[in-house]
Amino acid sequence: MRLISLLGLVIPVLLSTQHTHAQIKNAKTATVKIFGNTPAVKTIIEKEGKDRQFAKVDWNQTTKLAVVTYDSSKTSADEVLKRIALAGFDNEKFLAPDDAYIQLAKAEQYERILKPALKNGTEHQVDHTNHSQGLQTIIQPSASTKSADEKTAFAQLTNPYFALKDALVKTDAVVAAAQAEAFQAAIKAVDMNKLSHDEHTVWMKVMDKLATDAAGITKNKDVAKQRVAFASLSTTLYELLKVSKVDGPIYYQHCPMFNEGKGAHWLSKENAVKNPFFGVQMISCGSTVETLN
Amino acid sequence: MNMRKKSNILTVVLLLMTQLTVLAQKVVRHDLYVRDTIVNYAGKSKRAIAVNGQIPMPTLTFTEGDTAEIVVHNELKESTSLHWHGIFLPNKEDGVPHLTQEPIQPNSTYTYRFPIIQHGTHWYHSHSGLQEQIGMYGSLILNKRVDDKTFRKGIDDLPTIPVILSEWTNYNPDNIQRMLHTANDWAAIKKGATQSYVEAIKEGKFKTKVTNEWKRQLAMDVSDVYYDKVLMNGAHSTDLKSVNGKALKAGDKVRLRISNGGASSYFWLRYAGGKITVVANDGNDVVPVEVDRLMIAVSETYDVVVTIPNEGTAYEFMATTEDRTQSASYFVGNGIKQLISPLPRLKYFEGMKMMNDMMKMNGDLNDMGMKMSLNQMDMNVVMYPEITGDGKKKEDHSKHSGMDHGQMKMEEDPNRYNANALGDIVTLNYAMLESPQATELPKKAPIRDLKFTLTGNMSRYVWSMDNKILSETDKIPVKKGEVLRITIYNNSMMRHPIHLHGFDFRLLNGKGSKAPLKNVVDIMPMETDTIEFLANEEGDWFFHCHILYHMMAGMNRVFAVDDYKNPNLPDKAKAYKELQMESNMTHFMAQNDFATNGNDGQAMFQNARWQLGSEWRLGYNDMHGYEVETHLGRYFGKMQWFMPFVGFDYRYRRMGEDEHEKNIFGQANKKDSRKALSLGFMYTLPMLVNFQAEVYHDGIVRLQLMREDIPIARRIRGDFMVNSDLEYMAGLNYVITKNMAFRTHYDSDMGFGVGLSLNY
Repeated sequence: MRLISLLGLVIPVLLSTQHTHAQIKNAKTATVKIFGNTPAVKTIIEKEGKDRQFAKVDWNQTTKLAVVTYDSSKTSADEVLKRIALAGFDNEKFLAPDDAYIQLAKAEQYERILKPALKNGTEHQVDHTNHSQGLQTIIQPSASTKSADEKTAFAQLTNPYFALKDALVKTDAVVAAAQAEAFQAAIKAVDMNKLSHDEHTVWMKVMDKLATDAAGITKNKDVAKQRVAFASLSTTLYELLKVSKVDGPIYYQHCPMFNEGKGAHWLSKENAVKNPFFGVQMISCGSTVETLN
Repeated sequence: MNMRKKSNILTVVLLLMTQLTVLAQKVVRHDLYVRDTIVNYAGKSKRAIAVNGQIPMPTLTFTEGDTAEIVVHNELKESTSLHWHGIFLPNKEDGVPHLTQEPIQPNSTYTYRFPIIQHGTHWYHSHSGLQEQIGMYGSLILNKRVDDKTFRKGIDDLPTIPVILSEWTNYNPDNIQRMLHTANDWAAIKKGATQSYVEAIKEGKFKTKVTNEWKRQLAMDVSDVYYDKVLMNGAHSTDLKSVNGKALKAGDKVRLRISNGGASSYFWLRYAGGKITVVANDGNDVVPVEVDRLMIAVSETYDVVVTIPNEGTAYEFMATTEDRTQSASYFVGNGIKQLISPLPRLKYFEGMKMMNDMMKMNGDLNDMGMKMSLNQMDMNVVMYPEITGDGKKKEDHSKHSGMDHGQMKMEEDPNRYNANALGDIVTLNYAMLESPQATELPKKAPIRDLKFTLTGNMSRYVWSMDNKILSETDKIPVKKGEVLRITIYNNSMMRHPIHLHGFDFRLLNGKGSKAPLKNVVDIMPMETDTIEFLANEEGDWFFHCHILYHMMAGMNRVFAVDDYKNPNLPDKAKAYKELQMESNMTHFMAQNDFATNGNDGQAMFQNARWQLGSEWRLGYNDMHGYEVETHLGRYFGKMQWFMPFVGFDYRYRRMGEDEHEKNIFGQANKKDSRKALSLGFMYTLPMLVNFQAEVYHDGIVRLQLMREDIPIARRIRGDFMVNSDLEYMAGLNYVITKNMAFRTHYDSDMGFGVGLSLNY
């Protein structure tokens, strides 16, 4: 009996020493903020961060702080954080690729406060979840873009337009709606004092129509209806850009099959055809009919 | 009188001085000290070659109009050379040992001197042996003069960084070359690309694997060598926070002048901050084109412009090897690092299936009526999950059905290999390159048409043009002033970046008079491309595949423009012989199984066509016997499935009284000790089974079927042998390292054995 109780004492002691033996050698720790929202995320972050006996991560959901312990002779805190970011979680050092973030379960998509708000159209990936919370990542025609685009009066219109087009290429109704809203904001921001005579004439003619079509896309969550509005929006915008100076070539492209063979046009910055009317189904269907310079 | 003389002298002095200054500002001299060094890029200290103490070699910058003077101090224990890739220069400065100069001997100095008559992004590298693989590559930047008519505001005045890509392997490159020639698949094991039967069954591709072996193909891959690291300017990851001391900020554009100095790797180039604008290729301006990604072939150069979209963020610019096992990055900008996702793993069995469909039984490729050229149709897209889905059925995202054009069958879709038609991203191809200026050649120059078919096989790693390696061909004579129009068809299963020395050629890509100028054209399997150039500079110009191991295997030609008297090479014929010899080196391999029931092994010397090999089976007692077979044979055909040989067999074995072996033809062999000469041939049957037929001088006939290296699982290889002497053998290997395997086998003569198999 005594022996057994002694054993009972010894075994946990042994186990605990083994536990300390299994600990990380040359251990260094770093405390880093990693963004995530649900308890389920804790498992993912800690699993992604772990590297055999060389690194482990302990993440606290409330504080968002992670304690990264790593063997400094084998790896680094950056390597651990990079893996976590590639799994979709922004942290102080690395921003997750957008495609990794989008692949997280809807409930796990946290607010990306580290990612700077987009100022121009070079990045088309848009935050999916936050459109209900005020669209902070959607393109806004800010003062800085305006000053940069003085030579082309309508550049602030084309940027959200191309983002909208790209969303339709991907058949993404949510992003398309968000970009159409940015486009509406851009219409309001056009400074008519800076327009040339020709630009002004056409602008007065098309302004309302552009706003209506954009509103049609924003309101509608059905991508088929969005595309009908987009077809109309594109032709109208083309009329406007024809009389205006554009920044770099813009390609006016034609899809012969949309709307039961009636066809439709769209504008693109690339000569390579990416059809926004059918998405992946017929992505390269269509041709460039005119190049605006 | 006095006055006159003085003024005369003054004019002369003035004249001299102006001339001097004109000359003086032109010559730009660089001293390069080439030394052995030890580096540790991937966990082990290994030999490399550093120039001026650095890898890559220093970036050399000149301006059009300068005269380059580059002094090479060879402090190696072996000879070296430097080739100026993409540069127009007198032939004697081109830097190909045995073709344009003698090799630069150890402890000697050599001066290259040539006028710079062009601009653009180029690079330079050793053209001696495999030195390029272990450090001898560097950027060579030729700036435009500011008053150049082609100076492009917004491009040529951007902050610019030269970037040279390369790979590192901990193996000695000579060993890699040897392993390639013996079809050692250690690289595939390292990459997880063995494509064994077990893996095939797991993915439901058993039939694909069988068909592949039926067509006598080894596992297919997009690259042959496993690298431990890839590097951009010698580093795995670099932070580019400022250019010329100016910190980078949002809205800034940066021009990267990228050269692929890798010995055998193609790289995908991608950017986390949006589109990539391609502004030049192979040192020649192109009309800017925006893409999401591009592939840079071995030895190509691309100038790309990237934009920093936001403040406080550094965007990853990533180069990933075509096989997607390794990558290196530049982070452009200041602040938190925006990553880009790694490229997903290749779907190898889809590639194998595609290859099966394309390959005829005789090893020829069949493009099934698709006229393929200019990298537009990339057969490899079937392996790209990001374009063709992750192996499951492609989802149809759009909700509206009933569109008749959506129902086209995949097999009939003319775009089924067109990445830009299939995916929602834009990948650069050659058809998108356009020169800003007309590049037409003089109309009155005579045109000469040449055709090359690129040929080769993986199993013996012989690469050739028209099934002839350099050592089997003479120089191709060309008249100065002729236009050479060369059509190249790739009938091999690997892609080849074909490089021409000394000239830029026009790549006929549908852009008419504005066809782009290049000096490397990457040709994928089954593609046909046409190039043309004016041969207006005399000399011997190398024309070769730039994959280092293909070049060393003999995939080369020489264009001899007129009869050039090269002061470096008084005896050109002899030098050419040496060049031919270096491109068809003899390789040695050996292997022995130290087993409980005896020693089995073989040793072989081989080059592109010939093979001298010995196989032995040595028992531990007289009863089991000792047996050595030696064959000297020559391979025929581009697939090299047929090898006639002469042989000599020696066998000693003590048998019991009246015990005689009989073969299935009833021929008996009575001698315990037998020496026999033989004639025979070996032929590779479908399923990669070697059939060997032999007749000995004493009339005895032997037929044998044998298969080695059956890829059962990732590390498990099976083999068997059966012959008309009623001998048989079956074995299993478990591959432990590249030189070692655990082996168990059963042999009809020697019984069951286990052992350790070593190979060199």
